[in-house]
Amino acid sequence: QAFPLPSLPRKQPTVLVACGPAQNGAIGLVCARHLRTFDYEPTIFYPKRSPDPLYRDFTTQCEKMDIPFLSYLPTEVQLINDAYNAVVDAVLGAEAEVGEGREPCAAILATLKHIRIPIVSLDVPSGWDAESGGSGGISPDVLVSLAAPKECARRFLGRQHFVAGRFLPYDVQKKFELNPPEYPGTECVVAL
Amino acid sequence: QEEAQAIDQELFTEYKFSVDQLMELAGLSCATAIAKAYPPSSFTTSQPAVLVVCGPGNNGGDGLVCARHLKMFGYLPTVYYPKRPSKPLFEGLTTQCEKMDIPFLPEFPTEAEFIDELYGLVVDAIFGFSFKGAVREPFGSILSTLERVTVPIASIDIPSGWDVEKGKADGLQPDMLISLTAPKKAATHFAGRYHFLGGRFVPPALQEKYALNLPAYPGTDCVLQLT
Repeated sequence: QAFPLPSLPRKQPTVLVACGPAQNGAIGLVCARHLRTFDYEPTIFYPKRSPDPLYRDFTTQCEKMDIPFLSYLPTEVQLINDAYNAVVDAVLGAEAEVGEGREPCAAILATLKHIRIPIVSLDVPSGWDAESGGSGGISPDVLVSLAAPKECARRFLGRQHFVAGRFLPYDVQKKFELNPPEYPGTECVVAL
Repeated sequence: QEEAQAIDQELFTEYKFSVDQLMELAGLSCATAIAKAYPPSSFTTSQPAVLVVCGPGNNGGDGLVCARHLKMFGYLPTVYYPKRPSKPLFEGLTTQCEKMDIPFLPEFPTEAEFIDELYGLVVDAIFGFSFKGAVREPFGSILSTLERVTVPIASIDIPSGWDVEKGKADGLQPDMLISLTAPKKAATHFAGRYHFLGGRFVPPALQEKYALNLPAYPGTDCVLQLT
């Protein structure tokens, strides 16, 4: 919704999906697969693969859909700016504590901080503290909050903030006083 | 029928999709198609009440997922699920519905008129593309009742009781058919108003291999209206 195909600047609808080693990365894999179904051309960078069988299957699904997996991320930022229309940041999520400091996430984030194409972060901008937000970290253009926005979303300064939480049962919403917005029609995301 | 089974097999063994993943996407497609063809505002009953009849296999599972999403889309689904497989997948789907306050009927309404009065739509999630042979009870009587219902029926993948390739001239005549993955041969005998395609998960390579020639889905929609 944020970057419809006709709006993309590059000739090919390329998107780089950077996936971390845990759940946030797995969500990135699923996202890449659906992007491919929507006729984008995703490329995945997934340096540290989870041994979880479910996540391994997500990887196979992507490979069998002919989605390329990069063997390394160029440190030359201009190469990324030139090759892709946008980057999906699925490196670290809300559960990350020490992940930020560890390789290879730290190196990915260091590179992402300098790119000039838009970044879409899944749930939490990677490297940000899930509650207090981040200073000097990456500045995504679009944030997709999963289930409900995290505390750190208050510090989000990008263009569009979506919530993807239509699957939450009513009693969970009430119990945690989530007060979700109305989702239009049959959409699974809503722009805040 | 064999081709449909072969595609399914490949999705699970080669592509490593889980039944859960595809069932969730299939059920969501069904609910989305229903919401497009029968928006809640179009119901003549005072509430947008929907009866979802779930069979003993995967088609029933699709129905459970569909019921859950219908609830989220603002409908009031009620499920009838007489034969439940004791597998974690189906037990999980049932629990998800129960915890969303979707009632499960203890008995099937005895008269078609009762269904017509209480519900504005019936979802037929009884038998799918693997169906072969004779219809076992209680589904025989359920189908007889459904054949006399006047409110619209939306069938998931195959109108239940139909031969998967040849159809059934004196069988169920649904108003809507949601073909999953690709239309089955029986769809050529479908005479209802709405034919949707759902299950937008078939990888391009698989579509080519089986020469599915699927038309393009609009934008990011998970359903495509064929008629």
